[in-house]
Amino acid sequence: MRPQATILALASLACVTHLPTLGWASLAGTTPLVTEDEDQACAELPTYVLRAEKLVVRPGKVLENVSVLVRGGEIVLISPEIPLPEGATEIKGKVVCASFMDPWSALGVDSNVLNDKSLNEEARVSDALNLYSGDFLRQQALEAGVTTARLQGGYRGSTGGLGAVVRLDPELDDPSTAVLLSDANLGMSVGLTVDSGARLVRGADGSLQFLSGDEPVDVFDRVSAIDKLISKLESGAAYRQAELEYAHKLDEWNKEIAEQTKKLEGDYKKAKKSRDKDVKEAEEKGKEFKEKKYKESRKPKQPKQDDGKAALASVAEGEIPLVVEVHRSSEIRNLLERTKSFGRLRLVIAGGSEALSSAKELAEREIPVIVWPALRGNSAQDEFASDDLSLAGVLAARGVPILLGTGGRGEDATRDLPLLAQMAIGHGLDPEVALRALTVDAARTFDMAGSIGTVELGKDADLLVLDGMPLMPGTNIEHVFCGGRLAVSNKN
Amino acid sequence: MMFNTILAAFLAVSAGLTATPQPGTPSGSEGVKAGVSPASKAVSDAAAFTAFKAKIVYLGNGTSLENGVVLVQDGIIVKVGKDLEIPAGAGIVDHDGALSAGLIALHSNDGAGGELNDTTRTVMPDAEARFAFDPKHPELREALEAGITSIVLCPSSSRLIGGQTAVVKTSGGVIVKPNAQLSLGLSSAALSYNEFPTSYSGALGELNAQFSDPKGAVSRAVAGSLPVLMDVNDRAETMRAIAFAKKYKLRGAMYGSYWAEDVVVAIKESGFDVICTPFDVGDNQRGARSVAALAAAGVRIGFGLDSPARHPASLRFGAAMCVRQGLAADSARKALTGDAADIVGAGNRIGKIARGSDADIVLWSGDPVALSSSIKAVYIEGKQVFGGSK
Amino acid sequence: MLFTVLSLALGSGGLAAMPVPAEATTVFADRIYTAAGDVIENGMVVITDGKISAIGVAPNGERKEGELHVAAITPGMVDLSSRNTNMQTVEETTEVSAQYHVADSLDLFDRSWGRQLKSGVTTVVANPYDNNCIGGFSIALKTGGEPSLEARTVKADVALRGSFGSQPSGKNHPARRRPTDFYSRRPTTRMGVEWVWRKSMYDALYAEGNKDRAFDGVEQLLAALNGEVPVFAQAWATQDIRTAVFLKEEMAKEGKTKMRLIIDAGAEAWRELDFLTRTGTAVVLPPFASDGRTFDNAFYARDCAAKLHGAGVPIALSAHNDSSPGHSLGDQAAFARSGGLSFDAALEAVTISPARIMGIDRRVGSIEVGKDGDLVLWNGTPFELTSSVVGVVLEGELVVDPR
Repeated sequence: MRPQATILALASLACVTHLPTLGWASLAGTTPLVTEDEDQACAELPTYVLRAEKLVVRPGKVLENVSVLVRGGEIVLISPEIPLPEGATEIKGKVVCASFMDPWSALGVDSNVLNDKSLNEEARVSDALNLYSGDFLRQQALEAGVTTARLQGGYRGSTGGLGAVVRLDPELDDPSTAVLLSDANLGMSVGLTVDSGARLVRGADGSLQFLSGDEPVDVFDRVSAIDKLISKLESGAAYRQAELEYAHKLDEWNKEIAEQTKKLEGDYKKAKKSRDKDVKEAEEKGKEFKEKKYKESRKPKQPKQDDGKAALASVAEGEIPLVVEVHRSSEIRNLLERTKSFGRLRLVIAGGSEALSSAKELAEREIPVIVWPALRGNSAQDEFASDDLSLAGVLAARGVPILLGTGGRGEDATRDLPLLAQMAIGHGLDPEVALRALTVDAARTFDMAGSIGTVELGKDADLLVLDGMPLMPGTNIEHVFCGGRLAVSNKN
Repeated sequence: MMFNTILAAFLAVSAGLTATPQPGTPSGSEGVKAGVSPASKAVSDAAAFTAFKAKIVYLGNGTSLENGVVLVQDGIIVKVGKDLEIPAGAGIVDHDGALSAGLIALHSNDGAGGELNDTTRTVMPDAEARFAFDPKHPELREALEAGITSIVLCPSSSRLIGGQTAVVKTSGGVIVKPNAQLSLGLSSAALSYNEFPTSYSGALGELNAQFSDPKGAVSRAVAGSLPVLMDVNDRAETMRAIAFAKKYKLRGAMYGSYWAEDVVVAIKESGFDVICTPFDVGDNQRGARSVAALAAAGVRIGFGLDSPARHPASLRFGAAMCVRQGLAADSARKALTGDAADIVGAGNRIGKIARGSDADIVLWSGDPVALSSSIKAVYIEGKQVFGGSK
Repeated sequence: MLFTVLSLALGSGGLAAMPVPAEATTVFADRIYTAAGDVIENGMVVITDGKISAIGVAPNGERKEGELHVAAITPGMVDLSSRNTNMQTVEETTEVSAQYHVADSLDLFDRSWGRQLKSGVTTVVANPYDNNCIGGFSIALKTGGEPSLEARTVKADVALRGSFGSQPSGKNHPARRRPTDFYSRRPTTRMGVEWVWRKSMYDALYAEGNKDRAFDGVEQLLAALNGEVPVFAQAWATQDIRTAVFLKEEMAKEGKTKMRLIIDAGAEAWRELDFLTRTGTAVVLPPFASDGRTFDNAFYARDCAAKLHGAGVPIALSAHNDSSPGHSLGDQAAFARSGGLSFDAALEAVTISPARIMGIDRRVGSIEVGKDGDLVLWNGTPFELTSSVVGVVLEGELVVDPR
């Protein structure tokens, strides 16, 4: 669909607004070029031509002095020279690049779901979006250049449910437009400190003191947490197996029935005769005639529908990635070891404060780590004890794919993702890797590379216009496009 | 034609100059490399000199020097300039990046091991924070690695009169200034639920009693020889502190900037400096806006840290957040170094790249207030205490 | 009463139409209720430099463009019980903290001041939170203007605030095993609260002649005993009102006849009219409760204000920091009217009467030349539930514009 839309746009260089008289078939032969929805979007979103001295197509590939035509929310043309279409807005800038994605965020997640300790695997964060609060936070995130985020609920529990990729645009107050991908991943965690609530305790001298409710999970529980995780994956795999077997058996049964029916139809008279005989015999013996239920009794039984196991199944089969928040080296090693048997599993480590000790295996298996460069003091929880701002840099240097996220705890942290990325650069991360982590790598990890993460033809117009290279000292963001909407304009 | 010849000659000369670098000076390689010219073996006195060359030298007073040279002798900066004559035999540190004075974290607990909050009494003006200082504490190393060469240890602001702050270095156990400020708790942190005071009225009543009949450190504060450090949080507390200081003609700094945006005029008129509340990821932008507004109004500012509960990198992170909200980068750099030193009355010794100052120097890959800049080396009193190549 | 008649006569006969000055705040109204006895039909109030400079009948003729003209004007209302002070305004480490001033604890940036101002309350008395027997000094201040004490104070140390009843003892507990905090050293009963009051007053009496017996707060207690400042005590229920009055009478027997007592939140004051009239005690009434039950289980009906007024007890109404429609001070006056209080008495109970009770009537409480230019502008007859506050003028500044 998209390439064709592009061709059409290229051909006319004008917004196609009204085509019914021509008829769809006559225009393109078989398929319509522009659906009515796109037509609508086309009418609502203005057209822009961005003229960039430098266009960062993706980190490492820079084009000089090119223009980008944005129409209907998409990048429809990239060329050295684009004449300004009528009614289009021209924006000039030194640098144009893809906008940032926070791959680990809580911005817009309903606080009850965010703090829920007992979410199921089938819980969807896209059902828990609170799009009617925190507008200013989403606007601030846009101003900082972050236009999309992967949201995850339930960070306090062992399962966080299904994460979603959303667009952080306060104008989008409808989940159907804000959510780009509703089942982006399954989230889990291992070994996180449990917060059982602050308690008032009477001390030895009789005075009352508040004790924090943070309780580190003991080491055996942590091991069993991984056992549970693996058995969940196994149950998911088994569920998929059962589903496949059921499909296969049903197929065979249907085939058999068809054969039987055919046979019976061919020998109708004989069958009738034998049935009549059976009826007569039954009457003589004073018994009730029972029709043979041969066909039905052998119909394969459908496995019980279970959305949670279905989600685990798609994780086990690698259809969606599994994001596990895990920090201590022993747990990371254990997790890597135990997940080896799942050949298709797409594991993503979140946090990974001590991932360095498993860097080699992470690099070999190309397991990405979402590093959370937070400013933790010495009162941080147990699992963050060896947290270090240089983690991203060191992991990347060892060949581990890294992403940078804001931890999915506080809604307000996403706004500061670019600052955290800069801090990671200051602590040794290669600037190009950092930019890749915020754009194309984040998009690719969560199956969004088809629409965001790079500045290429057919991609969504999630773009930044800057006065210098992104994430570099002194660079300011001048304009932010979010899904084709000019969401922020700082210049004057 | 004539002109061209001269130009060519000039180029030749400059080429000749660049072609014969100081022995040991790295050519074209990045990072920090130190070298000692062979002559130094002959002249042992000259070894006391070290010349720091950097692409840009931030002087700590809001200005900078491109391609500057900082000449250090016995841990003291003796000369700063563009084309300084480097004594023969001097050690040379040629840095392809930025040089600044070591950062100063106002209001920190590093190296005090939680010994700054004596909960048994709320008025102890003659207590001194320097006696809680453990110079070997590992927290100091973490601060050092974040480019912080001096911190100000402050008695807890949960005390009405907590005692006197101390300016100390993060390496070498040096106490720069033992009695820097008198710490006064004017925020709700100084109020308790089960001991005196439980109310602002009670707190102010006690402070008035102490200051109207001043003794010890309080009398020095009233006489003007000891600045005060007033802990405030909200606007009402700020205004109350200003009124209190005015009553006894006190001078010094206020710690707490979050709400300052709304009372910036009153703060400016009070003549008090402001130590900014530390910042964390995701903090409301009001705090950063307030800092920018204070600086724009001409109030002298520095940054608090409250480590070790906060990560030492929070210091620069806060500065970067404020820059994002409109604080001039020059003001931010000044607030992290020279102004911070002046606020605690140690500006003649630390915080500046100037003649006579301690050679507490940080070499950066770029601008210190850009978070993407990394620390290449840290020197305290001329000695390298952190960095890749020693 | 005589005064009222006189000024009414003056009002109807003596006021002539006057010119409208250019450089001043001028407000016109169909009726101006001055709370000084007059009601001026088709009148105007002129405020210059924050003070009322002229009151009179508006000149006849066409209304000019942009002229401020409303249905009615009353003086800015006065609430003696602002109740927006939190627990951090009283020093609880001791149950008698007469030496402290609530002014040191106020947060003038709090939004509740502005809300009170918008509801038409221009002057309030802020009191220490009532967790102590004797809490400290109250302050009378404006609800708007620059957020500083200098700009807002009407009268500092306007009264010595205290409290009877269950509140000062509510948080306290007996010492178990080892006494661990100051609450175990404070009274836990009404009897104990009264004892603390009486003890501190006798301590002050003894200290008056003997400097060796002086203690923190003695000057402040003596100022109250000698009538230099009134004692402003919270007492909701009958027994607490009686306790307060008994204490005053006991002190009178000890020679302190000038001590003035003002009861705050005297919900059951209507039961003790004799006591109150006998001692000349003024009563500030709490907001009306729909079921008649208030704090300390005190019963309080709508006719209380009328009963007290009928018996000659000086009364003031208060809204206890509730500025919402149906609960504000103007609405309290409307409720009191529905309980039988006359319009004039209701008007006075939220304006000049509280100002007189607290001794700040030289500056606020009525529309008279020379007083502060605080006005409430109404879109109909004041204190009717069908009309409401549409504008507020504070010291000449139009802080809520009806246009």
